[in-house]
Amino acid sequence: MDIIGISINHRTSTIELREKLHLLKNDIVEIIPQMKQSLFSEGFILSTCNRTEVFGLPTNNNIDYAQIINFISEIKGIPALESKNFEKYFSCSAVKHIFRVCTGLDSLILGDSQILGQSKEAFQISEENGFANTSFKRLFDASLKAGKRAINESHIGEGAVTVSFAAVQVIEKIFADLSSKSALVIGAGETGELAAVHLNDKGVTDLTIANRTFSKAEKLATKLNARTMSFQSIKDNMNKFDIIVSATSSPDYILDKKDIKAAIKKRKGAPVCLMDIALPRDIDPESAKIDNVFYHDIDSLNIIVEENLQKRKSEIPIVDRIIMDEMVHFFSWHNTLDIVPTIKSFREFFEELRIDELKKIKHKLDDEEFKKVEDMTRRLIGRILHNPTLKLRNLAESGENIEDLTNYTLLLNDLFILNGKNKNENESNKKQVISG
Amino acid sequence: MINTIDFLNYLLPVLYLGAFSVYLYNFISEKKNFEHSKRLALFITLLVHCIYLAMRTFEFNHPPITNRYEIFTVLAFSITCSYFLLELLTDIRGTGLFILPFALVFQAISSLYITESYVVKDVLRNNLLGLHVMSALLGYAGFTISAVHGVLFLMLYKKLKGSNFGLIFKKMPSLETLEKLSFSSVVIGFTLLTIAILIGGFWLPSAFPNFKYSDPKLISSALIWTIYAIGILIKYLGGWYGRKVINTTLLGFALTLLSLLLINVLGSSFHTFS
Repeated sequence: MDIIGISINHRTSTIELREKLHLLKNDIVEIIPQMKQSLFSEGFILSTCNRTEVFGLPTNNNIDYAQIINFISEIKGIPALESKNFEKYFSCSAVKHIFRVCTGLDSLILGDSQILGQSKEAFQISEENGFANTSFKRLFDASLKAGKRAINESHIGEGAVTVSFAAVQVIEKIFADLSSKSALVIGAGETGELAAVHLNDKGVTDLTIANRTFSKAEKLATKLNARTMSFQSIKDNMNKFDIIVSATSSPDYILDKKDIKAAIKKRKGAPVCLMDIALPRDIDPESAKIDNVFYHDIDSLNIIVEENLQKRKSEIPIVDRIIMDEMVHFFSWHNTLDIVPTIKSFREFFEELRIDELKKIKHKLDDEEFKKVEDMTRRLIGRILHNPTLKLRNLAESGENIEDLTNYTLLLNDLFILNGKNKNENESNKKQVISG
Repeated sequence: MINTIDFLNYLLPVLYLGAFSVYLYNFISEKKNFEHSKRLALFITLLVHCIYLAMRTFEFNHPPITNRYEIFTVLAFSITCSYFLLELLTDIRGTGLFILPFALVFQAISSLYITESYVVKDVLRNNLLGLHVMSALLGYAGFTISAVHGVLFLMLYKKLKGSNFGLIFKKMPSLETLEKLSFSSVVIGFTLLTIAILIGGFWLPSAFPNFKYSDPKLISSALIWTIYAIGILIKYLGGWYGRKVINTTLLGFALTLLSLLLINVLGSSFHTFS
């Protein structure tokens, strides 16, 4: 398969450059017609905050990686993108890379399952905009299947692998029903936002955001349908919260042991969960000694993250096997594309002979006799061609003896002079037969 | 029939051990192996136990509550049955491993020492006695289940405080759930024990000529009842949380065990039936 593509990801470039190259759905829809004109007959663009992937079947043999990079460079208005910021893939390696992306093996967070949904969306955009025909549709199906199998047949996506998610997992071990709990997130930066999103996802409806810059807190609160609280009133009101997650860049403690002791007293001993995911820490670690106070900082949460990461890493061989399995299936199907025109010509050659011979005897037989002879010859040709056709198909599907397959194809072409006919077969014809 | 009863008597500890092993394997396994099989294993054990108890009742023409070892097998059944219902109702499957050893030990002792008792005192055929004993045993089963969940609560509490995210952290439900399970079991156990004490209080004086209120077994039962009553009241009225409540229930359970051990094994009482 002559698929060619480039990938810009966390290995090849900085987050700033990846952000600059990020393409929204509307951008992709606009780009596709231009891409069809100058680069690919079919293909897809996958763009997330962490990666942009551009893959396709070149319209001619002169298309190379530099042209694809230049195309992206022009579209995004970023001059002189360096080649080293892109990974380049061709044929088998391209297919393998797409499968790795869909299974989360290529993600910044190993086993990230979000990428499968994002890939599905990218494939849909491609199909809806007429940028995918038989080959790419099949490639999309195989990629999504590999991604789904990775989720179902391995534990690659299990366990918290970010500190914020690990914090939520610990909270779930303390409280049974998060929907009945109140939570305060201090800090509306990236980490605080992630923690707030996780809490929201886990059903915490009574969510409050506090931030030194109040407008930032308001922005995040609006996004998550949460409430806000002024930074100065945290200490006075912290007793109202069952869960407190702190993720600010404050150089000093925001809450010390005395504050927490006072809050617990006001809470009549009801448990409180303090997740300090800031560096330097926001909450006095001594507060962990207070009864019914569950205090965790980055170090303790990292124990969970590291353990889960190791577990995910141990699942890589399973996902690799899934990828290999799906690649074998995909290329088995793809290999049959090359043999189809030969088989078709071969069978047509015999069919023409049969019709020719039938014509010669038609006037010597009555209708009933002619029908019998016609049926008999059809059956005869069918039986003669059955084994060679099957053998050729099996050889193509297995993909193991490409040399044998080539020899057989050449032999057939030579023996039955099929070459001239084959040359006339166009690519679309070949695809129609297969898809049919 | 007696041969079948004998066979089931020795089969039961094996079945309990089997069910316990499946729960143990499932607990220590990283993956969710035998998640459903362990429930099936426990159901089969309970079914066989139920058949065994029914056969004993029909064969010996009295409920199996006439001596210590019959009581033990009913207690094993009560604990397992209560836990099984709890597992079905809450779908919390991680705590069975810690409850089954109690049933296994009671059943093993019963299987070793139980005898065929065709002749029993008339009083032991009384329906009120059956109700009295069954409610007491189910009450004690409730206390056992509560204590196990209480201990698990304390273990998980310690692990969470110490940032130790091992098997207990992974396999246990939340602290809040363990506290709820422990407290609910206590309330159910306490209610059943109250019923047992009430029936006993009204019926025992007329059934036993040598009845006296100063009997050690009655005093210990009253003491156990009082401790659990105080614990429940404190929880409701004092708004206690977590460790304090759990410690009270564990104190109640420790006293229960102590009184059962001292009174049943060492003491003398009119309240013995064998």
